[in-house]
Amino acid sequence: MDKLIDPLARQLTARLKDAGFRSEQIVADKVLRTCYGYDATRQSSDPLLALLPENELQVQTILRLATEKNLKIFPRGAGSGMSGGAIPSADGIILSLTRMRRILEIDEDNMIATVEPGVVTGDLQEEVGKFGLFYPPDPASLAFSTIGGNVTENAGGPRAVKYGVTGNFVMGLEAYLINGEKITCGNKCIKSVSGYDLTSLLVGSEGTLAVITKILLKLLPAPETAKTSLLAFSSMTAAAHAVNAMFKYQINPSTIEFLDHHSINAVRSELPFALPEAADTVLLVEIDGPEAQVKNQSKKLNELFKNDALLLIDAKDESEREQLWLARRKLSPAIANIAPHKINEDIAVPLAAIPEVISNLEELSREINLPIVCFGHAGDGNIHVNVMLDKNDPDQAERGRKGIDKIFAITLEAGGTLSGEHGIGNTKSAYFDKEWDPVTIATMRAVKKAFDPDNRLNPGKIFPL
Amino acid sequence: MTMTPFEIEEELKKCVKCGACMAVCPIYRQTGREDMVARGKLNLIELIKGSKELPAGWLEAVDYCLLCCSCEENCSKGVKITEIIAAARVQQTEIMGLNPIKKGVFALLKNRIISISRFVKLGSFGQWLLWQRLPRHSGLVRRLPLPGIDEKTVIPALPKRNLDDLLRKQRAAAGLQPILFFPGCATRYLHPQMGLDLIFVLEKLGFNAIVPPEFKCCGMVTWGAGDESTSAKLKQANLKVLHENAGIKQLVTGCASCGHALKDYDGRPQNCEILDISEFLFQHREKLEDLLGKRKLRQKITYHDPCHLRKGQGVSKEPRWLLNLIAGENFIEMRHPERCCGAGGTFGITHKELSRKILKEKTLAADATGAGIVASGCPGCILQLTEGAVVAESDWQAEHPITLLANLLHQTEPEER
Ligand SMILES: Cc1cc2nc3c(=O)[nH]c(=O)nc-3n(C[C@H](O)[C@H](O)[C@H](O)COP(=O)(O)OP(=O)(O)OC[C@H]3O[C@@H](n4cnc5c(N)ncnc54)[C@H](O)[C@@H]3O)c2cc1C
Ligand code: SF4
Ligand code: SF4
Repeated sequence: MDKLIDPLARQLTARLKDAGFRSEQIVADKVLRTCYGYDATRQSSDPLLALLPENELQVQTILRLATEKNLKIFPRGAGSGMSGGAIPSADGIILSLTRMRRILEIDEDNMIATVEPGVVTGDLQEEVGKFGLFYPPDPASLAFSTIGGNVTENAGGPRAVKYGVTGNFVMGLEAYLINGEKITCGNKCIKSVSGYDLTSLLVGSEGTLAVITKILLKLLPAPETAKTSLLAFSSMTAAAHAVNAMFKYQINPSTIEFLDHHSINAVRSELPFALPEAADTVLLVEIDGPEAQVKNQSKKLNELFKNDALLLIDAKDESEREQLWLARRKLSPAIANIAPHKINEDIAVPLAAIPEVISNLEELSREINLPIVCFGHAGDGNIHVNVMLDKNDPDQAERGRKGIDKIFAITLEAGGTLSGEHGIGNTKSAYFDKEWDPVTIATMRAVKKAFDPDNRLNPGKIFPL
Repeated sequence: MTMTPFEIEEELKKCVKCGACMAVCPIYRQTGREDMVARGKLNLIELIKGSKELPAGWLEAVDYCLLCCSCEENCSKGVKITEIIAAARVQQTEIMGLNPIKKGVFALLKNRIISISRFVKLGSFGQWLLWQRLPRHSGLVRRLPLPGIDEKTVIPALPKRNLDDLLRKQRAAAGLQPILFFPGCATRYLHPQMGLDLIFVLEKLGFNAIVPPEFKCCGMVTWGAGDESTSAKLKQANLKVLHENAGIKQLVTGCASCGHALKDYDGRPQNCEILDISEFLFQHREKLEDLLGKRKLRQKITYHDPCHLRKGQGVSKEPRWLLNLIAGENFIEMRHPERCCGAGGTFGITHKELSRKILKEKTLAADATGAGIVASGCPGCILQLTEGAVVAESDWQAEHPITLLANLLHQTEPEER
């Protein structure tokens, strides 16, 4: 039996059971704990054990015990992170928040939802939908990622163009410091300027500052209707001008996704409609809001681009809408056919820099002799850059690694940032000092130290160890 | 049917650990435990592949699976998750043998099938001592305290005559086209009336249902339990029947799990199309519409997708077409009709508490529609749903769509007003 559980883990288990934890909340078995060692980055490193608290007092109990034993804590939501934020170390405890998943309140009068961190984003959207309300942030992982993970990664999705990212909806938080003490940030007030804005500080903190146990989220009235259109252009520059023109002419799409020509070629044969040969960039545009307004804006869109676009399709109903979105949905599986592996980065650049960055990436692709596929959010400058390669070929792997260095250089040169939505985690921490100067980083480290003086909360993330 | 170690290894490599399976796994949704979701199970199976020692935690994780295929339907990498889990269970039985209860039941399935029928008949004779009828549902609950069975556990009422007995007396009308009907164990021994309903509908459409008594259990339950040798024997026996009847172009079944199993048989006759009854009816939609005329169900009705129909066979449109046909606007969708009811072969028996939690979400969704009938094309789901209705004291009954259709066809058509 002893073979299966680490002595320290056994000791902790006994203490927690005394404190009222049930067996199914403790994963100490050496075999089972491996299921808490990875995330969507496919790194893997087993924790000492994983604990699944069911309320904030249990979170506090765990943090106090860890402090007493001088152990590290690694908060974890669904483990769907793309930058290794939830990866533990062997002397650390995984604090899995998936059993704290109650929607505590839907306050219709103030249009605010109060939730525990383990609530799955899609479940919350469904629940508030029953009240005619709307929680807009829509990371592609919304059906399984948690609100807690969304807040700490400041996750965003296609709708960010109009509505913003997760952080734009967080009104307030409750969180526990590494020593088990509780802090409260924000409130239900729309205007609130009393003291430092700790809410915003914890948003995007990647689990390095505090363990979030309660979240207040702003809600909106659900839009009456939405309309999707697909536009094809002869160049990325033409598409970028089109995006700019939309904003100028007060068309306010909720979503503007783009596919570059590699992406188009990858999915072309799977689409139920014909794309012109000359199409170099495709935009998927969604307009939502009151019926009349959507109609009006959609008309404007058609008038504006009837000459410039090589193709313009409006979806007439739900099934046509689904067909247009197929172009985007088929993309991930389709590009997997280009090469066995991909390295993907989620850089973001100022809107006007998109064409230049894409063209520099094309050049880079020729230089390293590996296909680079780009798609993403044209309305907010967030580009998913995928270097396609076979990692088992040492030469390709080396070229890929060089490619990543160059991608970040191109991005920062254009005034962009290393990550638009996935965070720094441990996969990009080595590049962190390329983006920020030493004094800025020192200031950030000082903030970290104020919250977590012994560096026991999610160490090794954002800042290199 | 079972994958080779090499195939398993290749299949395991496809998982990119994205976590998308967490969105749909009924067990994970209840427990929040990552060792119980597909991503975790695949990780564990990979971890100890080929090992002769199976740690307790591994066994538990592999056991905690409904084989509902929800994860598979949702996996963008197309990992054959349920096949990997079933293969892991084979590895388990090879090393540790079969759990004694399952062993006893499966021995019945494997050996002369007559023993099941005798077993059921004996049960039918004695069951009234311990079990009592439910007022509204088909099924029984206990009379006296019984170990491991609470007062809401529903078991099927065992009929005195099984489908084979009943069919012996029937003679088909002349001029009908032959079609194979695979009733499956539940229909054959527990709900023979449903089999008769299906045969009646086929007849109305001009088909003569051939039900070879040599058909055995489809093997789904034994496959799911890791009893490879029994599954293989059952499959061989059924394949033999299929080849003997190779002149018949189609086979229908009213059981989602049987359909899922049969469609996956390798080596079955190429010219025999295997269809769920809803798919078959859809092929004959014009005729059926004519036959039904103005007859419509007057009651509100909703639908639960059997996992092995929707996710196992990709059939979800046809049953809805059928319910629209028989109930029109009285057919109302429940929230998440695709979510598993928690039955999962023997899972509902071996993991009652968890199964009930999964079931509760389903009954709540059904309650919310205000329907008087919950239709589902799978005897396993029907039994589980019935238990759900008893536990929640809900006002609806679970029925197979074919029963509803047959009942309508028996009614006289309403006069034009
Ligand atoms: C297929 C797929 C698609 C994706 N699409 C998108 C997308 O469109 N947009 C996007 O932004 N991201 C996307 N992601 C990335 C990922 O889903 C998001 O980063 C998500 O917010 C992570 O949530 P999680 O619950 O999985 O958190 P985890 O991965 O478990 O954790 C992420 C970080 O948050 C910390 N954390 C989690 N909960 C808490 C808490 N309560 N308190 C303190 N710290 C906590 C962890 O320590 C870790 O650092 C995608 C991922 C996948 C696999
Ligand atoms: S959805 Fe498929 S690929 Fe993703 S983690 Fe689950 S099994 Fe693996
Ligand atoms: S088959 Fe069903 S129960 Fe089993 S892992 Fe997949 S989703 Fe979960």
